[in-house]
Amino acid sequence: MVKVSVLQHDLSAHTATRPGDPTPVSRNLNPLMHPFSRARERTRALNAAKMDRMFSKPFVGALEGHIDAVEVLAKQGDSLSTVASGSWDGGVIVHNLSQRTHIARLPQAHKGKVTGLCFAGDSRLLSCGVDRNVKLWKIASDEPLNVFPGKYAFNSIDHQRSSSLFATASTLVQIWDETKSAPISNLTFPTSTETISSVRFNLSESSILASVGSDRTFTLYDIRTGKAERRVVMQMRANALSWSPTFPTNILLASEDHNLYAFDIRRLDAPSLIYKGHVAAVMSCDWSPTGTEFVSGGWDRTVRIWQTGQGHSPEVYHTKRMQRVTSTLFTNDARFVLSGSDDGNVRIWKGKASERLGIVTARERAAIEYRSSLVDRWKMDREVGKVVRTRHLPKPVYAANKLKNTMLESRRVKEERRRKHTRAGESKPKSERKKVILAEQS
Amino acid sequence: MDALIAKADAAQPLSNKRKRTHHSNPKPGPSRKPDKTSVSIIKNTSLPHSLRSRTNETVDAPQYKHIANPKLRRSLVKTSTHIAQSQALLSDAVDLLPSEESGFAQAEDPLERTWRLSQADIVKQAGGEAARGRQEMKLDGGPYRVRYTKNGRHMAIVGRTGHVASFDTLTGAVHSELQLGETCNDVVFLQDHSFYAVAQQKYAFIYDRDGVEIHKLKAHISPMRLEFLPFHWLLASVGSAGYLKYQDTSTGQLVAEHRTALGACSVLTQNPHNAVLYLGHQNGCVTLWTPNLPHPAVKVLAHLGPLSSVSVDPSENGRYMATAGKDGSVKVWDCRNWKGAVREWTLRSSGKGGAEVEWSQKGLLAIGSGGSINMYTSPSIKTPHHPSSQPPLYLTHPLPSASHRPITSLRFAPLQDILTIGHARGTSSILVPGAGEGGMDTGEGLDLYEGVKGRREREVRGLLDKIQPDMITLDPELVGSLAPPSKLTTNTSGGSGSSRAAEIPFARLPRAERLRVSGKADLTEEGVSDADLSDASDSTKPQVVNKEEKEKKKMRGKGKSLKRYLRKQRKNVIDPAAVAIRAKIEKQKAERKAEIRKVKYGDEPQEKSSALDRFRRTSKE
Repeated sequence: MVKVSVLQHDLSAHTATRPGDPTPVSRNLNPLMHPFSRARERTRALNAAKMDRMFSKPFVGALEGHIDAVEVLAKQGDSLSTVASGSWDGGVIVHNLSQRTHIARLPQAHKGKVTGLCFAGDSRLLSCGVDRNVKLWKIASDEPLNVFPGKYAFNSIDHQRSSSLFATASTLVQIWDETKSAPISNLTFPTSTETISSVRFNLSESSILASVGSDRTFTLYDIRTGKAERRVVMQMRANALSWSPTFPTNILLASEDHNLYAFDIRRLDAPSLIYKGHVAAVMSCDWSPTGTEFVSGGWDRTVRIWQTGQGHSPEVYHTKRMQRVTSTLFTNDARFVLSGSDDGNVRIWKGKASERLGIVTARERAAIEYRSSLVDRWKMDREVGKVVRTRHLPKPVYAANKLKNTMLESRRVKEERRRKHTRAGESKPKSERKKVILAEQS
Repeated sequence: MDALIAKADAAQPLSNKRKRTHHSNPKPGPSRKPDKTSVSIIKNTSLPHSLRSRTNETVDAPQYKHIANPKLRRSLVKTSTHIAQSQALLSDAVDLLPSEESGFAQAEDPLERTWRLSQADIVKQAGGEAARGRQEMKLDGGPYRVRYTKNGRHMAIVGRTGHVASFDTLTGAVHSELQLGETCNDVVFLQDHSFYAVAQQKYAFIYDRDGVEIHKLKAHISPMRLEFLPFHWLLASVGSAGYLKYQDTSTGQLVAEHRTALGACSVLTQNPHNAVLYLGHQNGCVTLWTPNLPHPAVKVLAHLGPLSSVSVDPSENGRYMATAGKDGSVKVWDCRNWKGAVREWTLRSSGKGGAEVEWSQKGLLAIGSGGSINMYTSPSIKTPHHPSSQPPLYLTHPLPSASHRPITSLRFAPLQDILTIGHARGTSSILVPGAGEGGMDTGEGLDLYEGVKGRREREVRGLLDKIQPDMITLDPELVGSLAPPSKLTTNTSGGSGSSRAAEIPFARLPRAERLRVSGKADLTEEGVSDADLSDASDSTKPQVVNKEEKEKKKMRGKGKSLKRYLRKQRKNVIDPAAVAIRAKIEKQKAERKAEIRKVKYGDEPQEKSSALDRFRRTSKE
């Protein structure tokens, strides 16, 4: 007797028993039943990468109000929505980001441009300007609570988070107390005759202070000793600096030579990483509160968002009407980026260009996560990688980038040739990071 | 300042800190009080295997200890662990998921033969719903050709005189029935049963489910055979002019048009695993085509005489191909190397039309020739067997009468044990136990009971995942594999390429090369296998041996002195001594070869005597 069995499918196992029930799903894991699975996944990844680009609409809105160029931006430490901006016309505006309204307007806060702004605790604001005054404001009122007269035009101001001390930068760094009308100490490096352009307190060890100046220097001070501890002379001057919120010894400098330099202050002989991408001087930088990314704004009219540890290919934001970006800020929820530019607007951008604002359902989130993991998995593919990498740039920026590359290449070739025609071993190639620092003083 | 630095130095990385607290505090504190609900149900439940944490289980993923860069190492370890875990999960899932068994026919007694089973026996034993698969349709439209949809639920038939019908095989509901009134050669379903294409006398036409003509494909002139590539959305046709044409059915573009230059062609089939089309020609050639190549990717002279049918085995990644020729023979080929057929045999009665061959999902081969259909099971037809004898028969089915001849089409129904035969008097479906794949897959559309919503969803997803036609290659795993190494030489170490390498500045070298030059390259990976193979004393020695030393070593060993003598002779001077030595060396070589062959194959006469031997020149003369 031959035993025979013929394939028979159970209808009830494959169809919904009652109307409205979900249809049962069956899976066959035999790879032969899934031909072209790799090729199809690649197509899906390519589509995901393209969708990511299609959805990338980073511009959220512009905060108007200033008559002249915006010079500084400041965020309040414990608020998600309060941001202050100071302008060349001497006005200061406190914005509410979520409603895009003005909380306070101080049209004549200073004579001449406002150069520094920072929040001092609860609803108080410190501002300094080229009129040689530091003013302390209560946010609701029009008159300053206090005026601190100085001898020189101020360039920058920063307040300690947990005390009443603040520091100003002019030709020297001065430490002030809110309750005293004269500076309590002056900090300078013995041999310096420079103009300090920016000063910031360390976020963790609040007695440490860093400044950058026109002498192409980057200086570290300690309030307790009352003197400059270290000083580093670089190839080009830095315009702004920012301490990392998560790694207290890390600091970021926005340099005039188009690069950003990340330093670990334990090793000042070379930057730990160089962030290359801008095609003109970088005017400002600010860390995201998570410490995983930071934003920079440049003279090339672009805002760039960098991933920590990845020194190239940042996200680039630009619009037609945005001029030189003088100040940038990451909001405290790490979702948005602010930029203040020469055209007098403060612009709000998304931190992730293709992020969807508003409520995202669980299914949608799952789809977004699946897409991003697909792109991450296939980013080495030539086409997918190209879509992921390519950013449209304004023509002048693109041309400047090309020109810059040509110049750097020719410089490199020249160097190479020179080395080839000198005696062997006489000149060694110097690594890019070692070139940055000219001298280290202490 | 110093305080900050000291603190930063003292601070441990976050990951270490977490780990330590976890280990040092194993007993649950007051905050870790167990949840009452979970305690109450934990006795009666267990987490599904797939959801259990695998952190404590050891997966034997490589640890990449030789890689110095911690970031890279971490990501590599993470990836390999993930792969190992998902493979383990997959193996679990294969065990756990209910898989529908496939059918079979087994002889319990050694004297029994499965091929003695008639359809009546099988139907009696199958019983129930499965027995309804056995059907006869008597139709007058001339010899019929048959086609199933991907899920095997719907069937389309086309008669030579122009009778076209499509219907649901489960319910028997007829979707459409057309009398086209002209010669029709082939029918094919597009993505699902809602569209089908018919190869008519002058052009190919597309009809929708209800039989409404949607498109007239004027590019496909007098087509003989049609084929649809479901993942690329390509409709391919070949006709009496011998042009193979690909048309994208989602965009309507004619993607490629290849001139075969081998005359009229009426044999076309696809390899479902790499979407390569196989054409069988009048001169006995089988050619393999992709849209991006203007010439065949492979061309094989398969038969002495025209081909009558070609089929590709879907059960082993399209590795095997079966061809039937009008010379009355059937051959099974291995598509990985084309060194002759794996197995070939001659049919007893091929009839005048030649035989039809068709593989099932499970690798059953059906051959319809003359008035009967023979079926063979897998291992025997794929094993090389020299004398051209028939492989052991699995099942056979004779057509009821001679008027049913010729058999023009054989199609296995996917996911079912059914073979449908198209012949002169209509179609007949027979039961073939063990032909169909048992497990359905909803996501792929391999679902016999797929609903309307599922079908629509799949159509949209299929369009989104459409693979571009120029990605069709012989090797489907090419996508996502490593790129071939660059042809640009960057070898900076000495040798012939050094002059070129010197031109490439250090900064422009690839990273691996830069590391190698500066002595920081990681050579452990390559070193591992060498170290295992060679002795410890050998591995301590420098691996690099210069040319002279090599030569010196080469001199050692037996019988090399003759060669050294020859090397020192001048090549252009004919010296009797040297000639003699050369002859001696040749002789020794031949002897050595013969010895090796003897060891390998045993001593049997190597060469068969042939009729042409009489013309061979003996070496002594």
